[in-house]
Amino acid sequence: MILSGTFTFNGPRQKVWDLLQDPGVLAKALPGTERLTMSGPDRYEGVMKVSIGPMTAAKFDVTVTLADKQPPERFTLQIDGKGGVGFARGSAAVTLQEQGDGGTAMDYTSDVQIGGRIASVGQRLIESVSRMMMRQALEALDRELRARIDADASGS
Amino acid sequence: MPRRGLMILRLVVNGGNHEADVEPRLLLSDFLRQGLGLTGTHVGCEHGVCGACTILFDGEPARSCIMLAVQADGHAIHTIESLSPDGITLNPLQEAFRDAHGLQCGFCTPGILMTLSAFLRDNPAPSQAEVRDALSANLCRCTGYQHIVEAVTRVTRSPLR
Amino acid sequence: MSPEARYVNARVRRNEDARLLTGRARFVDDVQLPGLLHVAFVRSEHAHGRLIKVDGAAARRRPGVVAVYTFDDLGEYGRPAPVLVPPPPISGLVFHPRTHRPLASGKVRYVGEPIAMIVAESRYLAEDAVRDVIVDVDPLDAVVDLEAALTAGAARVHDDLESNAAAHVVQRKGDYAAARDRADVIVARRFTYDRGAAAALENRCVLAQWDRQAEELTIWDTTQAPIPIRNGLASRLGLSESQVRVVAPFVGGGFGPKIMMFYPEELLVPWASIRLARPIKWTEDRQENFFATTQERGQLHDAEMALTRDGRILGIRDTFLFDTGAYDPYGLTIPINTQCTLLGPYDVPNYSSEFTAVFTNKTIVTPVRGAGRQHGVFVSERLLDLAARELGIDRVEIRKRNLLGPDRFPHNHEIMFQDSAPLVYDSGDYLPALEQAAATIGYAELVRQQAQRRSGTRRVGVGIACYVEGTGIGPYEGARVTVELSGKVRVATGVGTQGQGHYTVFAQVVADVLGVSVEDVQVITGDTREFQWGTGTFASRGAAVAGSACHAAAMSVREKIVALAASVLGAEPDRLEVAGGRVSVRGAADRTISLAQLAARANPLRGAVRPGTEPGLESTAYFGPDRGSTASGVHAMIVEVDVETAMVEVKRYVVVHDCGRIINPLLVEGQIHGGVAHGLGNAFYEQLVYDEQGQLLNASFMDYLLPTATDVPPIETAHRETPSPFNPIGLKGVGEAGCIPTGAAFAQAVEDALNIEILDIPLSPDRLFRLIQQAADR
Repeated sequence: MILSGTFTFNGPRQKVWDLLQDPGVLAKALPGTERLTMSGPDRYEGVMKVSIGPMTAAKFDVTVTLADKQPPERFTLQIDGKGGVGFARGSAAVTLQEQGDGGTAMDYTSDVQIGGRIASVGQRLIESVSRMMMRQALEALDRELRARIDADASGS
Repeated sequence: MPRRGLMILRLVVNGGNHEADVEPRLLLSDFLRQGLGLTGTHVGCEHGVCGACTILFDGEPARSCIMLAVQADGHAIHTIESLSPDGITLNPLQEAFRDAHGLQCGFCTPGILMTLSAFLRDNPAPSQAEVRDALSANLCRCTGYQHIVEAVTRVTRSPLR
Repeated sequence: MSPEARYVNARVRRNEDARLLTGRARFVDDVQLPGLLHVAFVRSEHAHGRLIKVDGAAARRRPGVVAVYTFDDLGEYGRPAPVLVPPPPISGLVFHPRTHRPLASGKVRYVGEPIAMIVAESRYLAEDAVRDVIVDVDPLDAVVDLEAALTAGAARVHDDLESNAAAHVVQRKGDYAAARDRADVIVARRFTYDRGAAAALENRCVLAQWDRQAEELTIWDTTQAPIPIRNGLASRLGLSESQVRVVAPFVGGGFGPKIMMFYPEELLVPWASIRLARPIKWTEDRQENFFATTQERGQLHDAEMALTRDGRILGIRDTFLFDTGAYDPYGLTIPINTQCTLLGPYDVPNYSSEFTAVFTNKTIVTPVRGAGRQHGVFVSERLLDLAARELGIDRVEIRKRNLLGPDRFPHNHEIMFQDSAPLVYDSGDYLPALEQAAATIGYAELVRQQAQRRSGTRRVGVGIACYVEGTGIGPYEGARVTVELSGKVRVATGVGTQGQGHYTVFAQVVADVLGVSVEDVQVITGDTREFQWGTGTFASRGAAVAGSACHAAAMSVREKIVALAASVLGAEPDRLEVAGGRVSVRGAADRTISLAQLAARANPLRGAVRPGTEPGLESTAYFGPDRGSTASGVHAMIVEVDVETAMVEVKRYVVVHDCGRIINPLLVEGQIHGGVAHGLGNAFYEQLVYDEQGQLLNASFMDYLLPTATDVPPIETAHRETPSPFNPIGLKGVGEAGCIPTGAAFAQAVEDALNIEILDIPLSPDRLFRLIQQAADR
């Protein structure tokens, strides 16, 4: 499954970069994440619960590895998720670009191989559910970004 | 008091009262087949599409493979075995199926008979299109449906419009 | 006096229906035994990969789990399955047998391949434990596309082979190259014909019980071939055949894949039952069925036909790829059927057919109703249609010009059929069938209206396609007929029954011979304790072969009846009548004896028995035809296509077919209806969709669409009879006939409605929509 898109964050690029490296923030932003902790340099492990079609709250053990980091411009991710209903494995590339108006444009492309029951029964829904999760996560990150900016501005 | 993790199930099946302690996740189809030994209800897909598992739930057709047994607590279930209590005498619908060769392997047949029992009770003089529509959610791989429709023609004793 | 035909060719109601209609019929999953354990399998989620580690420790610790087995537990039982059908002796044939092991070892080669078996107190607990098993797979690129599979550098399904080619076969007749040179027109196209799952409503089920005291193994199995299963399993498990009993009770549809053997589950469940000394059952669920039960899939054909300008076929050349899946235990039956059935009812003087079977990382392919015949029919029928268009000849007319006439039989096509005998058409009369089908559907009038039919949003098309089908092949079947002390008759035969009505059809044959009523004949099939010799139900051979064995056994019993009655009644045999369950002297109503009394006399408790007589009124007979006999037919259909939604509705469907003599016309119609429905499913609704990594994306009835009662039209059937010369009744097979030409007729009809070219089956609404758009753009 190829999933790509753009999203505009309401904040400067460095702050967006910092946000994306913070597992605590990602854990809260990504829908269904029960736990996401750093298990090594540029490596995160955790547990997610995903609902796709007839499969509700399917548990996945996930490992995410960051690579090719060129702060604050770009990085790639290797994703490895495994659960009772199947697996999801792939990579994603993220680039961040400063916008003239103080915002940051994020471009992402990902190619994820899905297998197991989730592929054979949830097929029609995987892409739409993934997009929805992506959008929810990015919007949550954007809210956190603005909260941090406001906090800085008010000097706290 | 049932064992830990189990729930009490009290229901009426084919006119008889039954009580059992069951796991909440036990499917109604498995309860009927294994718990009560009523193996006439067949399981074809376990996701509610093929209709082989159709029973009557308070008189209305329902798919037992996507219901939990505990959902039937306090309700009345009728299975294929209720159409012929002695297991030998065929009711008019069953007789019509035999006359018209409306079954081959017979696996989908109980679900189709239960579906048709309710349908014909409410629609005693259907058109052919209405019969096919009523059957459209029951899959049969053997017959191509034609002799099933003819069986209904025979039992309604009027040519299908 | 020879028997009177009262039942053969009559629309007799089925003996078995009462049990099925009341829910009393026993299917394998209905069997309950005390102490029964249940099985779930851990199956590969990857289509291709190295199996690094399988760890069942956590699963074993789960309460309720009795055992967890992996390949390492199997020892010598882990060896690969036998090749079920070795290929026929075609010269130059290349075949690389690669069969599956009961549990994966080293590599996994398709999604769903079994990796571990869990035995537990309930299926629910066993499935819980599946998630406890840790499977470590190093994924490899999956081999999915047939052409890509054969390129250099493609991942290899079997590492010890140089490529993914599983087989290569060439069959030739005459000299196609010379024919091509003489041709006025050559029509060449690439065709794809994809099929799908058999999707019998009953999933597979295996239940095994090892009786440790009697040292006997009983296996209930949803198999189409109980006897070979018994023999093979006995051998694999180190038992003698007599220690193993296989019972195929009522089976909910077969259609081919229930004959695969040995499915891993068929070996592992009995093996575990012996090991644990407990009865064990595995019931497949529908999702598993899409991976774990065999299926048919696609063929890719590059074919051409050389013709004269007046439409006479000079020759056909066909090169094709055949998807055999991850292993090839069933040999080359399907593609060889394709090669043979492509010739159809036509006079094809020169023929060159070449195929390469290709290993892919998908479920194993074995015959599904039709078994490769529809692919061949699609190619030749489409080529004829395209030639007709190019030459400006009517589609029915071009067929007429090429049909083999009734004086051309037996017709030897010189290439080899799946039964290892040369392809010979024994009998047939094709022209009247074609004319009857065309007349019934109103072909001539529809052709006249073609311009009108092709206008508006709802466009109407007519399609007509011919086929010839080899049926009733050997090697043999057997039957034992016994008159019991009650006067009723018992028939035992080795084939299994999955809805074909054997309990009635064989009873009809025997009832006619023995002068009893059909309800008084009890037929036992599918139990190796009752009958031990035979092969199984496949290739449209049940009635022709097992039915003929029943006939032969009954005739032998009739002779014994007459001989004994002659002695008892003191009359000459030719004055005796066998009717109404009695034997009577013609013209002397008081000199009569019932079959029940005769049966008692045939087994005396005292007195001497003359040497050379056998006790009782019982005979066993075997029947093996010289070769298969050719059935044939013509299908015609009218379709209506909505060009805005790309939905196709079949308005009328006509079948004119010839399956020789018919035992029960009601049942034959049922077989045809079911076959046509299956064929329509393949033409328009059904397709197994795999992604580039070999993941099946539609493994449920939500997304794999079977035709419903609103999709299948009423089917008009007409029978014609050219009796088979190979069995006494003159029977040919009909089980697969309905689905063989459906795709070809469908494509032609849609083409006729829309004036486009259809070279691929199935034709989904999506693909049709795009074809309509492309045509509109042109």
